[in-house]
Amino acid sequence: MHAVRNVTLCTKDCLCLYVCPTGATDTETGQIDPVKCLSGCRLCVDACPSHAISLVPEIYPPQQEKTNTVIKELRILAESKVKQEKIAADIAASAKNPVLRQLAKAISASNRLLAEDLLRESGYMLPQSKNVQDLLQNLLNTKQPEGFPKDAAEKLLKILKENNINRENNKMSENKTMENLMAAFAGESQANRKYTAFSRKAEKEGNKKAAKLFKVTADAETIHAIKEFELAGHVGSTAENLKAAIGGETHEYKEMYPEFIEAATADDNKAAVIAFTYAMKAEEVHARLYQELLDNINDTEEVTYFLCPVCGNIEKVRPDKCSICNVPGDKFIQY
Amino acid sequence: MKKWICTICSYEYDETLGDPDGGIAPGTKWEDIPEDWICPVCGAGKYDFEEKKITPKSASTAKTIVSDEDLRELSFGELSALCSNLSKGCAKQYRIQESDLFNQLAEFYKSKTGSFKENQLSDIASLIQQDLSTGYEQLNSAASAAKDRGSLRAFAWGEKVSKIISSLLSRYEKQQDILLEDNHVFVCDICGFIFVGKELPEVCPVCKVPNRKFTEIRKEVK
Repeated sequence: MHAVRNVTLCTKDCLCLYVCPTGATDTETGQIDPVKCLSGCRLCVDACPSHAISLVPEIYPPQQEKTNTVIKELRILAESKVKQEKIAADIAASAKNPVLRQLAKAISASNRLLAEDLLRESGYMLPQSKNVQDLLQNLLNTKQPEGFPKDAAEKLLKILKENNINRENNKMSENKTMENLMAAFAGESQANRKYTAFSRKAEKEGNKKAAKLFKVTADAETIHAIKEFELAGHVGSTAENLKAAIGGETHEYKEMYPEFIEAATADDNKAAVIAFTYAMKAEEVHARLYQELLDNINDTEEVTYFLCPVCGNIEKVRPDKCSICNVPGDKFIQY
Repeated sequence: MKKWICTICSYEYDETLGDPDGGIAPGTKWEDIPEDWICPVCGAGKYDFEEKKITPKSASTAKTIVSDEDLRELSFGELSALCSNLSKGCAKQYRIQESDLFNQLAEFYKSKTGSFKENQLSDIASLIQQDLSTGYEQLNSAASAAKDRGSLRAFAWGEKVSKIISSLLSRYEKQQDILLEDNHVFVCDICGFIFVGKELPEVCPVCKVPNRKFTEIRKEVK
């Protein structure tokens, strides 16, 4: 599924430009770039106030089966309408009376539409259907009158066939790539924290060169991780990102860490119990701070944060001591 | 007092109310309305009305078995209409290149469609009579039996539009050029309904598409 814009409905509100994660809507032609458009993402569809954007499927359902009896009756009528169209067109081209020409032109146009509709229903509704491909192939295989635009028929057949194959492939590789982007994001994120830990260790040991190399590489992995995360379509508006952050922190303090603490207690790993407990309590604070900001997202008042370097607690005023791990307030880092 | 329904657009003629704008006083009985009176909404003739509360016609479900061999090859005119419709189908899917290519094929086959020996409006009128008396009825039977909703829709629109053309042809025969005098002529791009009158209805009386989907056919003086 990729997005398309109905230019006659578009009222140029341009919200699609702001919400599109890949810039697919930012084109000179007024149409959405199908190569950049993320399959089924629909952020632009939902954001557009004039309902000008919709998703078109890559793969259409097969042509509905038609019985030969129905096809026969449709064809009998189509033959008659084609004949009426031609008679009317000849009158419209040759009559001396302009009023008669006007009426004949309308009748000719009307009969073309009637014939089109009857033939469409006789099994040729979708351009990419097998019936249409067979028809084109049949035209190419049989003798056609002089001037037959063979190139056009060949090109059409090629595009229609390729579309079907490419879209099947794309659909599969798109899904695989999305999975890979998130796997790479997880790996790069872990590498960043791992190298940061290694860098601190090297610093404590007084190995400044190793500390520096670990630090710079950690930053490099952050660059990779962020890019991959963005391409996977997980960076939205700040309000959306706040909601996502609240979701993650809440899951951690309500579900993940309580289970971990229980397991660490059972294993009698006191250090892990303390680390998980500190983290659980800090995540709860984080979720609350995110929620406060989301509730007052338009508030422009300046704010200062103080970070506890031991447990990750965050306070808005420098405390006497950390409410989670009792570290003295003067150790807090100001942001 | 009885009510009569237009079979094209479902306009209801109520004998109590009449059609004052069309010169029919309230209380006028159906049989007293002049034969040249037309439906104020879609322009259908008096004979396209049915008395209200008529039970719907049931389609006969006789099945005819047709084999593949019975289906003749498509004529150039039919290939042209088939390709011009596929061109529109591509445009609706925003496939502009494919739309242009189908259009090339449509134009080619249109140019190869030979003229018929019949060349009068009266010939068109008799072809429509044949469509209305047998073609559409048989299509209705076949499509009903096959429960083919798409073909039933094509039947519903096509029969109505054919009736309108038939009505226009008989009116033109009587009134000649006066029929179009001071009137606009529009064709619905979707179903082919022909509107002759001063102001387009909001939606097409046959297929209900908004009236911006109509194309005006102007009188051209050579």
